[in-house]
Amino acid sequence: MKVLVTGATGYIGHSLAMTLAKNGNLVHILVRNPNSTLIPQHPLIKVFTGDITKKETIIPAIENCDTVFHAAALVRSCTRRPTDFFDINVEGTRNMLDAALRAGLKKFVFTSTAGVIGPSLNKEMSEDDPRITGFDTDYELSKFLAEKLVKEYAHLGLHTVIAVATKVFGPGINTHPLICINSVIRRFISGRISFCPRPAHYVSNYVFIDDLVQGHLLAAANGRMGEKYILGGENISYVDFFEKLRFVSGMKGIVLPIPKWIAAIRGGLHFILHKLTGKDPFYNSKAVSLIYCNKSFTSDKAKNELGYSITPFTTALKQTIRSLIIESYAKQSIYPDYGVQ
Amino acid sequence: MQNKVFTLITGSSEGLGKAFAIECAKRGMNLILVALPGPELLALATLIKTNYSVEVVCIARDLCKDESCTELLAEVTALNLQVNMLINNAGIGGTVLFEQGSPLLYERQIRLNVLATTLITRLFLPLLQQHGCSYILNVGSLASFFCLPKKHVYGATKSFVYFFSKSLREELRNSSVQVSVLCPGAINTNPALTLMNKTGNYISRLSVMNPEEVAQVALNGMFRGKEVIIPGRLNNYFMLLDKLLPTFFKKILTRSTMKKLDNNNRLSRYLLPAMATVPIPTSR
Repeated sequence: MKVLVTGATGYIGHSLAMTLAKNGNLVHILVRNPNSTLIPQHPLIKVFTGDITKKETIIPAIENCDTVFHAAALVRSCTRRPTDFFDINVEGTRNMLDAALRAGLKKFVFTSTAGVIGPSLNKEMSEDDPRITGFDTDYELSKFLAEKLVKEYAHLGLHTVIAVATKVFGPGINTHPLICINSVIRRFISGRISFCPRPAHYVSNYVFIDDLVQGHLLAAANGRMGEKYILGGENISYVDFFEKLRFVSGMKGIVLPIPKWIAAIRGGLHFILHKLTGKDPFYNSKAVSLIYCNKSFTSDKAKNELGYSITPFTTALKQTIRSLIIESYAKQSIYPDYGVQ
Repeated sequence: MQNKVFTLITGSSEGLGKAFAIECAKRGMNLILVALPGPELLALATLIKTNYSVEVVCIARDLCKDESCTELLAEVTALNLQVNMLINNAGIGGTVLFEQGSPLLYERQIRLNVLATTLITRLFLPLLQQHGCSYILNVGSLASFFCLPKKHVYGATKSFVYFFSKSLREELRNSSVQVSVLCPGAINTNPALTLMNKTGNYISRLSVMNPEEVAQVALNGMFRGKEVIIPGRLNNYFMLLDKLLPTFFKKILTRSTMKKLDNNNRLSRYLLPAMATVPIPTSR
């Protein structure tokens, strides 16, 4: 099979492209910078230089492919130009859909986020549940609009499937600019103080990267046209998350609970810094509200229709910690002064 | 079912109405949800029922139509439901140049925002009066205080709601029915409006609130018996400024803001596809 993967220099896209290549598929990847160190290296991976926001650069990469995995997106808490999210995540997706429809592709798998469904109440949320809050961030709104486009193209005859990721963790390249679970784990095992929202009973859904990648392949194989599938993991509260982290890593680790208002002030300060220096903020006050809520999801639809399965959280955590330790050793040996990040 | 009391919320399938429904369910209130026929209403009812142990009754009805308000009352009495709280939330917004707006839009706006609010309040008042303590919450708007271009009919209908609510409150002072009016500023009610709210200037962007915040403030205010509820600190400052500043200065401010709004429409090209309300047929 010949496939195109966008966003292959990103966390999810990188793993996806490598897995596809290891499975014996010929993988085209579309990257902006062909000299990037983040490009997945494999004999079956062919690099095309291009940009999803430039229509004409997509065409050579998409030619003769059967399936597209569109995993490219702008994932940030904010950018200097507010239109960036919409240019890349909405118009970029439209360009990809257009090119795929014209090239007569068999399948189009779109990687989206559970943030589009939003926070949950007492119980788990499923694909068809209505959103209970307004859209907090441009990122979520842009992904919502992109999902709408993807569904519309299903009615034009393109076999589109939406694969929804929850909070992703696991071995992989380190590119995620937002607070990601890997960086939380990395911080914990490095022995520094970890921060945790207070009250810590908020439940989130954590998906292991390998499950998510398998889910993508299953979505391409078995996903129904125009449908959306949550590819999640276990629903775990913040307390249990750190409890399990302690158990698996065998480290005590200090976890400091932070009330929402302190996090909001810190977010505000980060935002001011961002305005002054132009550097991307680690998070802002809007991103704070994304953490202080329940985000529990059910993957039952994917399990029933795609044959999706979930790796137990502790097993996945074990693998993640192992890879993060190897990564930190590698860094220490290459840059002796750099230390553990 | 006779001894259970219900809260009736109109326009409850989207935006602020949806937030009201969820907030009320959180507080353990049984709900009668009235909204346009469609899958959204049922999806919301299912979500609320799976998450909270409250009763939810759905009534799908277009309140713009003649007789729909009387039919609504008939249906509620036929089901023998007790109503002790009424949230008149259904309304049609719109920011459009007067000559560009369709006459049908204005007709529907007036029918829903003015007529339906009045009729439902009148029709359900006897039901509300049967209880020792009951509430009416009408949803007005901050637009009823400021004369804004493109918000002519909308602002006027919301002024009606404001005046109507305050007068009715005076009249019902010594009865068991408490009337409050909610005057929110810009709310991120749906994706299209969320995008539009982003096109404003810095201060107006800061004043934008999410529906769930507004619903919480509104219900707190209503239970405390507040007459006029203005959610958001910034919106309250606007009101204070409105009282302090001379009229000519306010006019200058409004005009410059509207001009900026026109120039600042960087996001507007995403508005059109988002605003397109052509329903996508679901393959379910």
